[in-house]
Amino acid sequence: MKDQLTEAFVSTKAIFRDGGLVIDAPAGARNAALSNRFYFYLMMPAIIVLAAITLYPFFWLIYMSLHTVDLGLADDTWNNLKNWTRLGRDRKFQEGWWLLLKYSSLCMFFEVTLGVMIALILNRSRYEKILVTIFLMPMMMAPVIAGLVWYYMYNSTFGWYHWLMQSLGILGDKSILGSSSTAMIGIVMVDIWQWTPLIILIVLAGLKRVPRDQLEANMVDGAGDIRNFFQVTLPNLYPFLLIAILLRFMDNFRFIDAILVLTGGGPANSTKILPTYLFDVSFSFFKLGRGAAIALTLLAVTIVLGMILVRVFERPSSTRSNSGGT
Amino acid sequence: MATLEAVQYKSRTRTLVTVFTTIFLIVYLIWTLAPFLIMFVSSFKDLLEAFTLPEIGDFAGMGVFFEFTPTTKHYTELFTERNFSVYFINSVIVSTGSALVSVVLGAMAAYALSRIDFKGKDHVFFWIISTRMAPVVAVMVPLYAIFRNLDLVGTIPGLILAYTTFNLPFAIWILKGFFDNVPYAIEEAAMVDGRTRFGAFMEILPLAAPGIGAFIVLCILFSWNDFLFASIIGSGGAKTLPVATRELVTPTSIQWGKIMAAGVITSLPMTLLGLLIRKYLVTGLTMGAVKE
Repeated sequence: MKDQLTEAFVSTKAIFRDGGLVIDAPAGARNAALSNRFYFYLMMPAIIVLAAITLYPFFWLIYMSLHTVDLGLADDTWNNLKNWTRLGRDRKFQEGWWLLLKYSSLCMFFEVTLGVMIALILNRSRYEKILVTIFLMPMMMAPVIAGLVWYYMYNSTFGWYHWLMQSLGILGDKSILGSSSTAMIGIVMVDIWQWTPLIILIVLAGLKRVPRDQLEANMVDGAGDIRNFFQVTLPNLYPFLLIAILLRFMDNFRFIDAILVLTGGGPANSTKILPTYLFDVSFSFFKLGRGAAIALTLLAVTIVLGMILVRVFERPSSTRSNSGGT
Repeated sequence: MATLEAVQYKSRTRTLVTVFTTIFLIVYLIWTLAPFLIMFVSSFKDLLEAFTLPEIGDFAGMGVFFEFTPTTKHYTELFTERNFSVYFINSVIVSTGSALVSVVLGAMAAYALSRIDFKGKDHVFFWIISTRMAPVVAVMVPLYAIFRNLDLVGTIPGLILAYTTFNLPFAIWILKGFFDNVPYAIEEAAMVDGRTRFGAFMEILPLAAPGIGAFIVLCILFSWNDFLFASIIGSGGAKTLPVATRELVTPTSIQWGKIMAAGVITSLPMTLLGLLIRKYLVTGLTMGAVKE
């Protein structure tokens, strides 16, 4: 990595982009080499810190996944890929992936539907500013605190949400988190509460970019609100929705704080999504080698998602409105 | 809007739609605010009052929620018996510390990355952003091992460094977008005036200042709200508010009044800060992909 970088810096490339500087050639070349070194030094601290706290642990993770790692002083021993081959037989690992997919899909479906609806309404509302400000408050709350507050509200003897759902006849007297058939819905609701605002914000930003003339042209053709939405607005929103969905997907991989507080993966493992299982393997059973193997599968999927996301970021036409200078 | 209104609707459908959307908005508003309200009000309730509910189906009895004698004892107990002042200060130091480190190093790197071009720049870039996306649980074990070897576990600097793993890539990524929008001509002018390259960099910093300020706040928010790093890397000497709040849940008793009070203490400052940088939130939370 570092060699590549230095090599890149040595092969001096023109940085005087707009050709604005008027200086004679030799001095210019000297200047360019000098300034490249300046930029190099400027970015080095961040690169070094980042490498130390990300690359190094990453290689350590690979090493651990190939060994039996004990917490004590015993040396790590090579174990013929046992950590990896075990994954094939590990039912909880496979279920963890399935539950993670189910959890993320459920969250995404409700958050996107709700988010688009709210954004559409807000976009035409006189009170857009104040309402958006109120709506985004849940995002500011620490996920652990959100988890605790919802845990309180779900309680089957004194929780207000439980009371409400029981009063409406949706739920029996068992807590929503207490039975394995409803616990998943319980944690999904918290995620919906906390993260729908992000979708609202993104979609609102997208709605402001829907070309007015396209809408008007379509209306002249006799389209009503609903046809207009599906024919003009929605296609224009796709890149925004894609970004929103990818971001939320990755956050569902990243954040398990609320789930740890709400169910800890239970009851009967019904909410043990992969990151929660990984947390158990590493921090409850201290099977660090196996944990590392699981972690690497999780990382691999995140990286693929990240690659897609970066591709979307870089699509010139869609979202970046004013990247061409001030 | 006038042209859009050119196509007229039957006024009855329109009223119906308005009524429906208004109800929808109100329900969503209640759904959003209810947890905040319940947390806030319950933090002033005594134990028994906090556990009072109307009968099942007795919607008229919902008023009992507001029938209580306010007490601030949960708050005072948190600070007198539970050392919450220490945890609060820890939270403040750790989150601002990490935000400042990340934004200073990040601004330098972002500026450099914005001004030069080299082979493999895309790869460096992807590496930077992928470190931000990596699931915390996945990298926690090796990170813990490294931090333990360096004696950083349970220390404030350790936790600051841990938060830098996600704040620094965020700062680089976001601020690069900012510097890309600052025309190079400004630096040229400064250098023609005899400034050094670093002087020119300092010259354009004020242009990016509002954005930099907003992203310092966002970095503070990210680290303030973190739980996993704080509970594992910070365990021992660097306990922050989310961890301290979580510890109020014990196998034998859950002190709800205190938890709600701690929840208010933890989320109030961040809610206010978040509203302060409202304009930059979309950009920040989408890693610069969406601008308002």
